[in-house]
Amino acid sequence: MREATQRAALSGRLGRAWRVLATGSAFALFGVLGLVLAALFTLLALLPGDSEARELRCQRIVHHTFRFFIRYMQALGILRFHIEGAEALRMPGQVVVANHPTLLDVVFLVSQMPQADCVVKAEAWSNPFMRGVVTAAGYVPNDEGEALVDACADRVARGRTLVLFPEGTRSPLRGLGRFRRGAAHIALRAGRPLRPVTIRCEPPSLMRGQRWYAVPPRRMNFTLECADVLDPTLLASGEQRRSVAARVVTAALREFFGKRVLEREATVQHGRPGETS
Amino acid sequence: MPAEASRQEILGWVVEVLQQEFEYAPDELTPDTHLIDDLDLDSIDAIDLMVRLEERTGLGFNEEDLKSLRTIRDVVDLFDGRL
Repeated sequence: MREATQRAALSGRLGRAWRVLATGSAFALFGVLGLVLAALFTLLALLPGDSEARELRCQRIVHHTFRFFIRYMQALGILRFHIEGAEALRMPGQVVVANHPTLLDVVFLVSQMPQADCVVKAEAWSNPFMRGVVTAAGYVPNDEGEALVDACADRVARGRTLVLFPEGTRSPLRGLGRFRRGAAHIALRAGRPLRPVTIRCEPPSLMRGQRWYAVPPRRMNFTLECADVLDPTLLASGEQRRSVAARVVTAALREFFGKRVLEREATVQHGRPGETS
Repeated sequence: MPAEASRQEILGWVVEVLQQEFEYAPDELTPDTHLIDDLDLDSIDAIDLMVRLEERTGLGFNEEDLKSLRTIRDVVDLFDGRL
């Protein structure tokens, strides 16, 4: 009995050491892919086509790259990934909104979306591994403001799909961050629906403030759940003042995610990251 | 008109706009109320607020002005002395 426990502990430690190495390789690969794609996109920009055609082509390539990247991590045994209602993400002209527990959330979302205009932290434009990709794919920097809302609403109204995290940054360790109203403003102005996606990672990993090598005691299990769309115009029920309408829609979104994320947290016993199993 | 009164008047306009445009309760709105921390205004709200105040005062503002605003008092200061 004791031997069995010791063996389990040893294999647990070995499994963990492997996952630290594997996770490190995944981070390195991500950086390399960023540079390779940037070089590829520079070449592709020489092909004929208008700027929209170029952006869409790059977005499709990012989509395939992220699919590959997730398969790589699955093959190494770092994570499992399950998505419910994935086909809903391919509907044109919607605003996809998700909670943001981990570093990989956007990778999972885009791996399911051949076309996605991502709203990305403005810092990415000064990060050498990301600059090339975010520029060529026509992603949108998240510095708030009218210009952002106008540009995004225009794309969504023309049938492009936007991905953004209303919290603006990764969620706190528990619960949800403050929701910004940009997604609501964009959906209202474009007159297009919001598609909420709930993201869960068990055990909690790759969260805000965690080091990459603080791998969880068990393999990560990611679940994405795509819900039915929310109609912002209906939610705002004829409110003419855009500030108030955006507040109403954002409150509805916050409530939607609050129910799913907070109830889940109440029922799931969390293994704290950094703990050995 | 004494400067004191006109300052009071501007504060009244700011409070009125915040009530009408954003549905804040009057008791939330004092000169020390922080626009972001207390009222959760974002940059779009700030523009809406300033456009309404522009209509009231006839005074323009620029994007740079917006960046320095922290509290309701700052908004009043922006217009006070220019009327």
